[in-house]
Amino acid sequence: MTERYPGYNVLHKRNSVSWNDQTRAVIDARCGIDPDFHQFCDEAEWKTLRSLCDHIIPQPLDRPVKAPIAAIIDQKLYGGKGDGYRDAHLPEQDKAWRLGLAAVDAEAMAACEKPFCELSADQQHWLLGKIQRGQASSEAWQDMPPAIFFAKRLLHDIVSAYYAHPASWNEIGFGGPASPRGYVRMNFDRRDPWEAAEASPGREDQARVENERVG
Amino acid sequence: MHEYPEGQPVDFAIIGTGAGGGTLACKLAEYGFSVVAFDAGPYWRPLEDFASDEMHQSKLYWTDPRIVDGDNPIQLGANNSGKSVGGSTVHFAMVSLRFRPEWFKSRSQLGYAVDWPLDWREMWNYYTEVEQVLNISGPLRYPWGPKRPRYPYRPHELNAAALVLAEGAEALGIDWTPTPLATLSAPHGLAHPCVYRGMCVIGCSTNAKQSVLLTWLPRALTAGAEIRDLAMVGSIEHDHAGLATGVHYLRDGRWRFQRARNVVVAGYAIETPRLLLNSASAKFPDGLANSSGLVGKNLMVQSNQAVWGVMDREIRSYKGPPSLAITEHWNYTDEGKDFHGGYSYMSQGPLPIVWGTTQASKRGLWGQALLDAMENYNHQVGLKIVGETLPRERNRVTLSDERDQYGLRIPRVTYSFCDNDKRLIAHSLKFMRQALEVVDAHDIWDEDDDTCHLNGTARMGDDPASSVVNADCRCWDIPNLWICDGSVFPTVGGVNPSLTIQAIACRTADRIRAMARRGELPSL
Amino acid sequence: MRRVPAAEARRRALASLQVTARSLNEKYSLNAPARTPDPEWRNAVGRKLNLSSALLSLSVLADSGLEHYRGSFQNRLMYLPLAVSAATVAASLFGIADARAKSHAVRDGLYVLAGLTGATGLGFHGYNVMKRPGGLSWLNLFYAAPVGAPMALLLAGVLGRGAERIRDDEACTILGYPAGKALGLVTSAGLAGTVAEAGLLHFRGAFQNPGMFLPVVVPPAAAGLLTTAQFRPGNIMRRAAKLGLRLTALLGFAGVGFHAYGISRNMGGWRNWSQNILNGPPLPAPPSFTGLALAGLAALSLIERGSHD
Ligand SMILES: Cc1cc2nc3c(=O)[nH]c(=O)nc-3n(C[C@H](O)[C@H](O)[C@H](O)COP(=O)(O)OP(=O)(O)OC[C@H]3O[C@@H](n4cnc5c(N)ncnc54)[C@H](O)[C@@H]3O)c2cc1C
Ligand code: SF4
Repeated sequence: MTERYPGYNVLHKRNSVSWNDQTRAVIDARCGIDPDFHQFCDEAEWKTLRSLCDHIIPQPLDRPVKAPIAAIIDQKLYGGKGDGYRDAHLPEQDKAWRLGLAAVDAEAMAACEKPFCELSADQQHWLLGKIQRGQASSEAWQDMPPAIFFAKRLLHDIVSAYYAHPASWNEIGFGGPASPRGYVRMNFDRRDPWEAAEASPGREDQARVENERVG
Repeated sequence: MHEYPEGQPVDFAIIGTGAGGGTLACKLAEYGFSVVAFDAGPYWRPLEDFASDEMHQSKLYWTDPRIVDGDNPIQLGANNSGKSVGGSTVHFAMVSLRFRPEWFKSRSQLGYAVDWPLDWREMWNYYTEVEQVLNISGPLRYPWGPKRPRYPYRPHELNAAALVLAEGAEALGIDWTPTPLATLSAPHGLAHPCVYRGMCVIGCSTNAKQSVLLTWLPRALTAGAEIRDLAMVGSIEHDHAGLATGVHYLRDGRWRFQRARNVVVAGYAIETPRLLLNSASAKFPDGLANSSGLVGKNLMVQSNQAVWGVMDREIRSYKGPPSLAITEHWNYTDEGKDFHGGYSYMSQGPLPIVWGTTQASKRGLWGQALLDAMENYNHQVGLKIVGETLPRERNRVTLSDERDQYGLRIPRVTYSFCDNDKRLIAHSLKFMRQALEVVDAHDIWDEDDDTCHLNGTARMGDDPASSVVNADCRCWDIPNLWICDGSVFPTVGGVNPSLTIQAIACRTADRIRAMARRGELPSL
Repeated sequence: MRRVPAAEARRRALASLQVTARSLNEKYSLNAPARTPDPEWRNAVGRKLNLSSALLSLSVLADSGLEHYRGSFQNRLMYLPLAVSAATVAASLFGIADARAKSHAVRDGLYVLAGLTGATGLGFHGYNVMKRPGGLSWLNLFYAAPVGAPMALLLAGVLGRGAERIRDDEACTILGYPAGKALGLVTSAGLAGTVAEAGLLHFRGAFQNPGMFLPVVVPPAAAGLLTTAQFRPGNIMRRAAKLGLRLTALLGFAGVGFHAYGISRNMGGWRNWSQNILNGPPLPAPPSFTGLALAGLAALSLIERGSHD
């Protein structure tokens, strides 16, 4: 699939008036996260978590910098800061994840005799679909309803981590940080020169040129 | 900032500095009372402390553990409550609306729920006061309801997302208007006007947003109030006569006690009942102010369902405040409804994390399907309601046996929509779908299970048996204990609540001053 | 009572009206043109008017440049006012420098073009207001295409043509009217329009700075005095009008300063110029007041000359 915003890189605005020092510090830290570093997960959990992230968010293989989704989640779980609520069916987030990761692996073993990370993409897809629909049967879930874990914990955390990273902003053409400089042109089909240009059919080259000027 | 010693009683100890507590602290201090206002959150300086980042700014939210259940467990955290000096208004969306007058008497005039003990004409004047203080920017003519004075600032320019709402409304033949918003459309004092960065719900880093933090609280400090930040109140103390004597609070790792002649609870509709329940004693085993048994009950969210679609034109709804256009048509029209109550709907501008999790959790998308849907981010439009829900005692805040980092029992929040709520939601989804279809949106889908705002749980009324406080926000059971925040709403209507909360706080301050002058408040 | 036939009554009424008009005319020298065979003097007035056209079109050039850039030149026609106003600036500069006391066909032609472009622009901008949801509403008047800019171009054209006519016509008339009066009326009307525009935009800004009242107070006063001066000869009136117009001219320049300050009051100030120059108050707008005030002063000198004769 061709890129919607060819050549757009929100980080090119880092030194512009669209970013302030606070934002630079925060985003620099996030971009500096080592994708392999983990403190919360043990090795088995880490492997499962990474393949889950890769499957839920299949980032293009040729992407130069990928969002370290698993590491962001590990960091959050290690830090212990919650979302401010949890469904009564789920235990606290760290317990829910440990339980969930083990259960996903158990489901994979039961169905294919391999851990989740070693399944083919099709098998992973099939298995996750079953969990999403609540059709999981492993004892390893204990009291935790698989469908609720999938929707409220697994998807929620993986998707939140991905869309916190500039790599995802480039993909969807989000303007990114915007302070002190905000925006001027608000009407339909208008973009400020510091926003992503969309490659509508036949305009790919022009969009690329415009995106290279974003700063 | 003036600082009060803990050992000497202050006239008012206020718990919470949000829409209710912050406003009240300002007014009472200006009326000459000694005031200490506590907040569990920090005192931010937005220009220096706020980054343009969704994840980082979660520092503004109340993220202490809470358990949610019921048929429609509500999402809290980012979506629902703040833990900052200034309360939830530090990251609210600034929509500043008045109640429809009949809602203050919805039982006698519209035939459902309960009446408020307040008169709309009196409230109309307090609304005006709040609108002036918040420098609301709004339309020159508001299409619905009785006449109101001109908003102090002119409306903001509409973004494309708002224009979609306007086009749809015109095609369906209903009124719409630029939303009255608490953000500057021109400079004011030292504050800059809005720069349309669209990150209002993660905190405004330009100070254009007229939150409680930037409006009432500076005035409160000038008038001599003390704001004690990072101070979590764990319980309210009372004497053997059953009068409140002060508050126990945790600050700098130590539990302390502040003596006070009056205590005001203003922690929003979960923390307020939680604190009252956590303050249970031998004299009040069911919690303070709870002789009616209603503390924590009648929790009302507002339904927050949406219809989303994709436009061929670029929308880029991340620009500008999220809800620049609104229609209150279904708040003011009673014909053609198969439900009680009303709803407004507004244009939307979700940031990437919120939008991504909406697509994933609400639509069940993941994998390539999710990435494909997300690629339409800049073409997506949405209309979202703020809908009235009816008060039900089974929707409630209770205490769980789990404890939080302060060692306090955490709240369990139980919520289920009733049949009337569901009919309202169905009506709104059907109508908004038409409003998107007429402007040629495609790939339309319904987001059918979101909620916003928290009200009720300590309702006001005329009768001690069926309410927790009277019209002056004074507890029936403990005459020097007051509740002044979103908890006191008997009904919620179909508009965002913060303007009404602030108007009630202004009224409460005036009533306290009047009663004190007449010597009717023995504690003062 | 003796009945007068209707026709006769009408005749008599008309005659008495004519007498009154004539006597008024004589008293207030309404129709006394600044008849002067002195081509140098007429050229000097012409140059003054060229200067005012120059300022107006310069303001249009900068303003429409900025505003149409903000509008991303969505429509090719959005380049037109830039080209035309640039040409009008050039023509006006040429007029200011031109020592020959007669009109110039190219100049004249460009002024006609400016006038036509301005009128067309008014139409386009009006359409832009009307086509938005809400139609003719405060919101759209605040934020859709402004009507002030094309009007300034129209005025630049009209005043420029006036400059050419005066150079050629010994009788100092424009379209048969005495030039002083005609220009005075055009200027007053132009000022009224520009004041309306400034008033609208300053209202949008909630008059948050007291300085924002100046352009809705000073220029209307000047326009009022200018109009009065045409009908009430006398030094005092003329001097008052002159003072008012000079203040207005000054205000036009000061306005740029005020607006520069206004831009600095936006988030990020001048460091964030790429946004604030578009979102803040328009820098190039106020000088149109100066341009109009200069035209008013030229009109006054014509009136003055007329009343001396
Ligand atoms: C994302 C979002 C968008 C919103 N948008 C709008 C909108 O557009 N328009 C609108 O009208 N409303 C909006 N609201 C709702 C509005 O912000 C709230 O209704 C309002 O702020 C509630 O006022 P309050 O005084 O009851 O509580 P809050 O403003 O939440 O203040 C409560 C304060 O009390 C403190 N507190 C609580 N318990 C304790 C304790 N035990 N000890 C010490 N401190 C304590 C908390 O830290 C908090 O600061 C929005 C809310 C959110 C979260
Ligand atoms: S859009 Fe305006 S109010 Fe919202 S965060 Fe930006 S500057 Fe503040």
